[in-house]
Amino acid sequence: MNNVWNDILNAYLPESILIIFIIFNLAASLFFNTYLYKLSKWFTLLGISLALGATFFLPIDPDNMEIFAFSGEIVSNIYTVFYKILILMCSFCLTLLSGYFIREKRDRAFEYFSVFLCAVLFSMCMISSGDLACLFLSVEGFGLCCYLLLNFSKSPDAKQLSFGYFVQGAVAALLFLFGVSYLYGLCGQIGFAQVSEYLLQNNSFVLLSFSFVLMLCPFFFKLGLVPFSSWISDTFEGAGYPIAAFMSSIPVFACFGVISRLLLLFINYIPVLKLVFVCIGMFTIICSSLCAIRQTGVKRMLAYSMSVQSGIMLLGLGVFSVFSLSGVLFYLMCYMFANIGVWAAIILFYISTKRGDIEDYNGLIFHRPYYVIAFTTVLIALAGLAPTSGFVSKLYLFSAVARAGFLFLPFLIISMLGCVIMIFAYWKLIRAMFRRVETDAVINTQIVSSKFILYACALATVLICIFADKIIQLCQSVAYYL
Amino acid sequence: MNFLSLITLIFAPIAAAILMLVPKFPNHQVKVRRFAKAFASVHFIYALLFLVFFDTGLYGMSYEKELTFFNISWLKSMGISAKFALDGISVLMVVLTSFIVLITFVLSKMHVRRKHKLYYSMVLLFESAILGILCSKDMFMFFVFWELSLIPLYFLISQWGNSEARSAAMKFTLASFCANVFLFFAMLILYYYNFAVSNVLTANIESLSMDENIYPVWFQVTVFVNFLIGFVLRVPFVFFHSWFPDVQSKASAPVNILISGTLLCTGVYGLIRFNMQIFPEIFKMFAPVLMCWGVFNIIYAGALSILQTEIKKIASYAQISMMGFVMIGLACLNQVGFNGAVFMTLALAVVFAALFAVISAVQFRTKTTYLTALGGLGQVMPKCMYFSLIICFGAIGVPFLITFAPKLMILSGAILSNLEEQLLVKIVAIIGLLSIIFASGYIMYLFYKIFCSVLLEQWKRLKDLSIQEMSVMSALCLVIIYFGVYPMSVIQVYQSVSNLLLDILQV
Repeated sequence: MNNVWNDILNAYLPESILIIFIIFNLAASLFFNTYLYKLSKWFTLLGISLALGATFFLPIDPDNMEIFAFSGEIVSNIYTVFYKILILMCSFCLTLLSGYFIREKRDRAFEYFSVFLCAVLFSMCMISSGDLACLFLSVEGFGLCCYLLLNFSKSPDAKQLSFGYFVQGAVAALLFLFGVSYLYGLCGQIGFAQVSEYLLQNNSFVLLSFSFVLMLCPFFFKLGLVPFSSWISDTFEGAGYPIAAFMSSIPVFACFGVISRLLLLFINYIPVLKLVFVCIGMFTIICSSLCAIRQTGVKRMLAYSMSVQSGIMLLGLGVFSVFSLSGVLFYLMCYMFANIGVWAAIILFYISTKRGDIEDYNGLIFHRPYYVIAFTTVLIALAGLAPTSGFVSKLYLFSAVARAGFLFLPFLIISMLGCVIMIFAYWKLIRAMFRRVETDAVINTQIVSSKFILYACALATVLICIFADKIIQLCQSVAYYL
Repeated sequence: MNFLSLITLIFAPIAAAILMLVPKFPNHQVKVRRFAKAFASVHFIYALLFLVFFDTGLYGMSYEKELTFFNISWLKSMGISAKFALDGISVLMVVLTSFIVLITFVLSKMHVRRKHKLYYSMVLLFESAILGILCSKDMFMFFVFWELSLIPLYFLISQWGNSEARSAAMKFTLASFCANVFLFFAMLILYYYNFAVSNVLTANIESLSMDENIYPVWFQVTVFVNFLIGFVLRVPFVFFHSWFPDVQSKASAPVNILISGTLLCTGVYGLIRFNMQIFPEIFKMFAPVLMCWGVFNIIYAGALSILQTEIKKIASYAQISMMGFVMIGLACLNQVGFNGAVFMTLALAVVFAALFAVISAVQFRTKTTYLTALGGLGQVMPKCMYFSLIICFGAIGVPFLITFAPKLMILSGAILSNLEEQLLVKIVAIIGLLSIIFASGYIMYLFYKIFCSVLLEQWKRLKDLSIQEMSVMSALCLVIIYFGVYPMSVIQVYQSVSNLLLDILQV
């Protein structure tokens, strides 16, 4: 018993807090649904902030790199802690953004938040999983939670779309299991540490690469990378706004955390992987940005934006050096603030007007200049232009790719041209807001939480750009630990 | 001299723009305009102080300053820092930029009728970006400002232009971003190649150019061509020029002045700073090509200019054509030619800003820019005619006006040049001489069609220049005449820089 307590304190504290709150939420959903529905939001916020606080108390031992818990099932080191902090901060913001959504569905508010917390829990387990079984369970659980969340939406298509997501996700997860079975057949082990020990001694290139490519499927599926990107626009369209925001942020952190850990296992044995990753990143950037520029709905555009941003990060991850890893960490951080800011702005607009096409934003600058300026700032940060964090993060990531060798330069320049196309997709939205037409859209100023998040994120993007040096150093020191 | 701070110079316009955008700021157009004009005057005087206290004997950069936030320098771990400094070329361009912005504000009263706060703040933001480009010591800081200058420009063109301005602005922005990709790519690989060879992670332009011998030739050529594409689009030279007449004919008159007077300088500045300073060997190798390009530029754009029927397009093609001289001057690879090229850039900026000021006066009164609808305006607007006569002569290169000296220097530089292709150089010089006739053709055609031929019935009641226009034109004509009579006053400012550059070029 003492041993379990130790394990929890050392590696599993935030997750345990989340589990407690999930149980409370579920219990509460039995009793006070329609009354006190507001309580659910604050209750969840409390849980997430407690978990966030607990993350800072996790022991990080610089000498003794990794801490194992539950006989190797859970791993904790500074790298996973970093990702956990990102995920928890992001879900804190998302909870605040869900306010309007639960008002519409007061009878299921507690239920919604318990599923939401489950998804957060699974994403955290995914990152810190120490063996393949735990990884598979959390991937599968995360997919199910996403499916349930998508079902919460009111739109009539939502059920159908979420079912499509569910089926494709299930197939991807099965492919993962297939890959795992090969790996298990090869090594006879499921713990990451044991697998890496086995691979040091024996090398079988073909089977290994086969199994690894299969294992990547669910993550590429969740990120909307090119061969698996057919679902994103429809699913985002059908999902409710806070859920679409969830789908565009949490899976990105979770998947990159896992992919980089998996890549560490395999990269030395399958050198061609670098090229594969860079190619997939490049094709994703080009295809998704070409799709994005043709969209008329903001949600659909942002779906492709998520895909493009993951493509950029995959391009950086592909070259796999300390610089590119820290570049990905820094990029994720900047992406979090910019993305949450954009979704906050869109949710604010949606609550006030119940509309969400790019055309509906026409002429907004004359009614709400502050809102438009903050929105433009976060959009520019996503696009990666000058005075925001997006520029510094792109600069750092691309320079890491340029540093990796001349082999990657052609891919780099094509991807950069793809990024320029993406800039114009964002630019369409900015241009609409500055268009000189009369509009009847009115932004409701009563919604404090979304407004607060929008302004805070806009400020954060600018501040990160100014104090980029310290944060990059932090990311580098984190990346050294992996 | 310590009281002059480059940080203040660069970021004061941004601060003023933000102040203007605050909703509490009075919304009345007169107050907004007065504030903007007052700020621009103070800024111009402040910029002038930099020139007055500039040490012309100094061999390199002066007024060096680093931007830090609570003593944390920007991206230090990547070797990137927000350092600013001025040398002889950039100090002149800084003063020019500040001056052009001031006259733009004076002329804006007539042309800007809506959204005053946004307009003036965007112009100030643009000014900041241009000053940042000219003062940056760091490659990536340069790129930040280079991109930043596009955003206000997009709004300036599209919001206050005519009905087709939106598509022109989009075309310009799209083309610029594509060129910027090449620029950024060149910077990235230069930055990392330098790191891989010398093991010092730095993006400082000076230290990159110090040891150019370490790069292999193919690498230098790649980076050189990428830089060339990025800068040439903005100068603009032929083949990359199609945005320029398009934008100029659709944007409003003050924006025309702004683009002609400030934006094009930065392209030439980039060519000198990057292509010449970092890759002298490759620049030597490319010099004959660039020289032919310059000549082709003069002839092709000149021919197009004669064919146009819209005065703004004539003027903009004329400017592209004359920018060919700059290219020839840079490619001569001797001191006379280089001095001429830098002087020509500044002179063309002043002259064409003045020409667009004349066009703005005509456009404001007649509401048209087509030659067929104009004619004989000299009878009703004599003052405007006399001013524009000086300006047109200035553009052609009549002795004792501003472009005469640089043209002479460039052509004599081309004749004296030591390039290996002697015959080519001589042919270039002769064609250049002929092109002066060419230039007088299109400019005087413009002048004749607007001011001289038959006066149409509907223009008989036009008023002559207002007090603002008078002040702007007399200031510009004063500049044109003063530096035409006394060209050494400009050249001595950047003499040391040109010595330094020619040391690098080893000619």
